[in-house]
Amino acid sequence: MAGIADVLDWAKQQVASRVPKADLDQRDPDYIREQLPGLWLLASLYFRADVRGLDRIPREGPVLLVGNHSGGNLPPDTFVFTLAFCSYFGVERPFYQLAHNLVVSMPGLGSLRKFGTVAANHENAMLALQSGGALLVYPGGDYEVFRPSWERHEVDFGGRKGYVRLARDAGVPIVPIASVGGQEAALFLDRGQWLAKLLMVDKLARLKSVPILLAPPWGLVVSDMVPRLPLPTKIAIEVQEPIDVSVEAGDDDVVHKQVMESLQAGVDRLAAERRFPVIG
Amino acid sequence: MRVQRHCVIDADRDTVWKAVSDPDCYPEFMASLERWEHVTEGPADKGARYTVHWKIGSVPIGGVVEVSEFDPAHDLAWIGVSGVSLRGRFRIRDTGDGRTKVVFRLAYESAGNLLGIIADRVAARQVGRNMTQTLKNLKKLVEP
Repeated sequence: MAGIADVLDWAKQQVASRVPKADLDQRDPDYIREQLPGLWLLASLYFRADVRGLDRIPREGPVLLVGNHSGGNLPPDTFVFTLAFCSYFGVERPFYQLAHNLVVSMPGLGSLRKFGTVAANHENAMLALQSGGALLVYPGGDYEVFRPSWERHEVDFGGRKGYVRLARDAGVPIVPIASVGGQEAALFLDRGQWLAKLLMVDKLARLKSVPILLAPPWGLVVSDMVPRLPLPTKIAIEVQEPIDVSVEAGDDDVVHKQVMESLQAGVDRLAAERRFPVIG
Repeated sequence: MRVQRHCVIDADRDTVWKAVSDPDCYPEFMASLERWEHVTEGPADKGARYTVHWKIGSVPIGGVVEVSEFDPAHDLAWIGVSGVSLRGRFRIRDTGDGRTKVVFRLAYESAGNLLGIIADRVAARQVGRNMTQTLKNLKKLVEP
């Protein structure tokens, strides 16, 4: 057994060593500006996105944007919101996003760092907020994006609430970002948490899910690591009123509950406007 | 990409200019306006800055604009100083029969080479519709 543990440790170190160190200077406003027209075409024509309430985000200073997201490894709502934020506040306003270790270390996705994407951990998040930037986090992570499609309108972070402590440590407000539509980009059948345990990727790569889904052009897909074509699902996003995180607001559980209720109410509102899956 | 629309308003030039040169009137007549804020203090004049965003496609598009020409009852022009490269103009001219011809022009250019050119062309249809509606709103606002 000692042999297996050693191999696991070695593999874990190999994965960890490939996660790039957060360097906020890698964010490149000119690069982002040049990508916006392509993102706008994709968001406007393919995903027919609708983003509302951007005026609720404080005009300046650090802020923690906490959202629910959907769509597996290709969550359309994340890039739609990034496009909307950069268009509304300008690419000059520092804006960072936390992403899973595998996303920031995956070959070919290095350009995400130019968008301000850094590996999701407390230190990187504090660094971004202390630099005065706006920070977008999706606490639900892989647990959330791989939920079955029939749970698409349920906000569930899997009990993760470290973002409240983060906001309190940094002394910044939380702005909830509710979105719907992303989980209709494919038919997600199962999170595959049992498969992640079986393959031990939960220990090796902090990957709690190895999802099973039906998606074009492959049909049945396991793990969502192979590029696929997301269905042209309509994405709707609602930015909500900032939530106070001061001591008077209550303990972490109280603030977390408030954020979850706000997000769920927003998702319910947006979902009620949808007449058909995918079409919107 | 350059888009232009015009209309004839049954009012004199000074009346039209009063609305066009008043920043507080813009939320009333500018169509699809998502954001309109004063950046600089004081009345509208050359050098005054505003943040303006129109809902084009999926998201608000625009940025900070600066008034580059302020010729009373004649021309009002602006340039974008952040966001999408943008130039805009209201030309106000007498038609000779007591009415006023208003020309509304927008010229814009996205970054991003080929995708920028495609995005500009795709957006032009909606931009044109917004400009037509803007002139209709202006007409309704100033005609007696």
